[in-house]
Amino acid sequence: MLFSCQGILDIKPTDKIPAEVLFGDPEGVKIYMANLYYQLPIEDFAYFRAGFNQNGGDPNNGGFSAAMLTEEAMHTEFGDFFGDGDFQWWDQGYKLIRDVNLLIDAIPALDILEEEKSALTGESNFIKAFAYFALAKRYGGVPLIKATQKYEGSAEPLKVPRSTEKETWDYVLELCDVAATNLGTAKGRRANKYTALALKSRAALHAASLAKFGSRATVSGDAVTQKLVGLEASAAAGYYAACIQASQAIITDGAYSLFRPNPATPAEAAENYRLLFQNPNDAPDEVILIKGYNLPGANLGHNYDIWYQPAQVANGWPHPGRMNPTLEMVDLYESYAAPGQSAPVVTTVDGNVTDYGGYDPSKNYLRFDTPNEIFKDKDARLWGTAILPGTTWKGTNIVIQAGYVKPDGQAVIRIKDQITVGANTYYTYGAPSTTMYSGFDTYGGNNTRTGFSFKKFMNQNSPIVPGWNQSTTDWAEFRYAEVLLNFAEAVVESGTGDATAAAKALNDIRRRAGHTVNIPLTADNVQRERRVELAFENKRFWDLIRRREYHTVFNNRVMHTLLPLQDLRALPATKYIFVRVQVPNSNPRTFELKAYYRSIPGIGANGLVQNPQY
Amino acid sequence: MKRLQYLFLLLAAILFGACEKDNFDGPTAGLSGRLIDADTKELLQQDIVRGSTIEIVEHGYDPVRPQYLIVKNDGTYENSMLFENMYTVRPVRGNFVTPEPIDIRISGKTVQDFNVTPYLRIQDLNISKQGNLVVATFRLQQNVIGNVQKIGIYVDKDPRVGEPMRLGQKEQTLNAAADPNTVYRLEYNPDEFKAQMPLGKSYYFRVGALMSLTEAKPNYAPTVKLDI
Repeated sequence: MLFSCQGILDIKPTDKIPAEVLFGDPEGVKIYMANLYYQLPIEDFAYFRAGFNQNGGDPNNGGFSAAMLTEEAMHTEFGDFFGDGDFQWWDQGYKLIRDVNLLIDAIPALDILEEEKSALTGESNFIKAFAYFALAKRYGGVPLIKATQKYEGSAEPLKVPRSTEKETWDYVLELCDVAATNLGTAKGRRANKYTALALKSRAALHAASLAKFGSRATVSGDAVTQKLVGLEASAAAGYYAACIQASQAIITDGAYSLFRPNPATPAEAAENYRLLFQNPNDAPDEVILIKGYNLPGANLGHNYDIWYQPAQVANGWPHPGRMNPTLEMVDLYESYAAPGQSAPVVTTVDGNVTDYGGYDPSKNYLRFDTPNEIFKDKDARLWGTAILPGTTWKGTNIVIQAGYVKPDGQAVIRIKDQITVGANTYYTYGAPSTTMYSGFDTYGGNNTRTGFSFKKFMNQNSPIVPGWNQSTTDWAEFRYAEVLLNFAEAVVESGTGDATAAAKALNDIRRRAGHTVNIPLTADNVQRERRVELAFENKRFWDLIRRREYHTVFNNRVMHTLLPLQDLRALPATKYIFVRVQVPNSNPRTFELKAYYRSIPGIGANGLVQNPQY
Repeated sequence: MKRLQYLFLLLAAILFGACEKDNFDGPTAGLSGRLIDADTKELLQQDIVRGSTIEIVEHGYDPVRPQYLIVKNDGTYENSMLFENMYTVRPVRGNFVTPEPIDIRISGKTVQDFNVTPYLRIQDLNISKQGNLVVATFRLQQNVIGNVQKIGIYVDKDPRVGEPMRLGQKEQTLNAAADPNTVYRLEYNPDEFKAQMPLGKSYYFRVGALMSLTEAKPNYAPTVKLDI
């Protein structure tokens, strides 16, 4: 060889930016950071069974949301439950962790001010904590990649075994602490000190509950004996203390407060609650971190409005009305007449609320003047969360009716029918055509089968745009009310901490919902308040997991429906009766113990110990 | 043109051809057997869904994903599509004291029974209609240390009825060790479940009891058919 090429093969790619150029420029870091935030595992409007950010590519998943795996809601058509491959976040998780580790490597060399470096360090650790929290709650103990891995010719050294579940949770809390120490208090769309503390409050409560309630559901296998899943009961105290400490730091600093905390009437409270979610940007006092959806379009907008608004306002979109809040959920809300306990919907004179045997002409039903009078004294948040029969939404009377009782006492239920009595014609579904009602007709799967439609997060201001990814409602990932509830739960479950302040936290949230009577701090009161206040924010799913209640709450579990019927025996007066039944066309569902942890993908290649029973 | 046709023919031959090496033989072996109560020598009653399983781990691979065989209600199991090889076999997550794993070579039609000690035995069972109710009385014999979490009578249209598969049930939480002198009594009211199971037909009834142990499955008495 007499000749050799000089550098001719070392061509720089023209479509990629080298790391040193990107990280050498603060603006480049900013762009990189935006991408990291986008990858954050935020369980928002684009979170479905297939994972996060399901608003690009083919977003058609039938609108089957995580809430439909809890008692919160049923889908109009699907009766699915847990699948082994659902809610996975493994590859994407480690991709995000690698991306953030690369940034952490680059921070010391950046040409920026020290406080900017500190802020970047804080943000990076917040993102990393968020990622490990999402992994820990799905998989238990996971491999902890604390610094960037370098490939040096062999893949073997890159294979990191799983840490114990305890080590994983401790690492999450440690990262939260690093983030909180380095971050400032300025509010905005990026993490600040309080965001890190709110994450710590949530994660510590999750870990504490696992430790306290782990014995409710024990499993066996290698992952258990190696402590890769499961926490000792003795760890609970430390985690509850961490939750109390983080929550109290937010509460005592006073940087956040509840949005419109003292409504004059329940009606005002209901509207305030609705507004909080229709646009969380209007509630900067309460909302600690927002994920924005600025523009319609693939990977930008989301699909909550097209999937979940009632059929009557579909505006040409063919698949509305998928979110059906259950009768269980509606029962849960308190009545202002009897604070401190859930108020099941009473439909008969004898007050029996466990009879799901269907309409019986011999039963003595209570008669109501409107299809929603039966909910009159119920908690404002019911009215702000669900669209109830015969209420107004976008200037339209939402008709949800399951049938009628003919003057002879025979009922026609969930069958399209009509009857003429005197000069008037009555329709089973409350109106003659499919565009004029939103309940019970199985047409297109567009009408609720539980008797309730969905309001929380829905955009009331503009008509539905009948296309994919057109919704731009922003998502409140952390809000002050959750911090208060975390605090109250940690205090009551651990029996430590400031019980007076915890009771105040609980009752402040209730006052914002129009309650005027304080209730005592008990574990049951906290859980009911949590389910009601945080309904449909994808919290119930994890509450059932972390408190190890899923397998008892969902053991051959069926959900229930409230059938509103017009009682034509009362003519000429317009009267309605209601019948409590099992959700039509639904089957019992059972939670299997193994689903407390997700299966780890790719153990053939990564050599990790699989979770039990997979 | 002719050349193009040859080209296409050649392409098709490559695309649709297959190497003989790809065509592995299908599974030829099978494993079947019974779960037998070690004392009474009777088959041990199981659930068809979420019941006891037979874990088989094929040798020669690492890591290897265990396979789980389902046990039928009557306590028998069979998988007739396994590859011939050495396996470690063990009944797990059942309603009995988990036995030691055994290594066997599965080839042809291998039969492997397991003698196991059930957590609980349901004895002196009597299920009868009394007025509007269906009443079950029985005694419990407990063979392991621990508490009985609950007892129950389960009802379904399907003869494979059990705790995980029922349309109606009457359960009682015990959270106490079984008392050999107590006659346990469960009263099932068919009226409560007439929406799912209309009166005037016959249904399958099965009494079960669940130990409060890790991954325990309920123990059962044989199914009884009754008109209600």
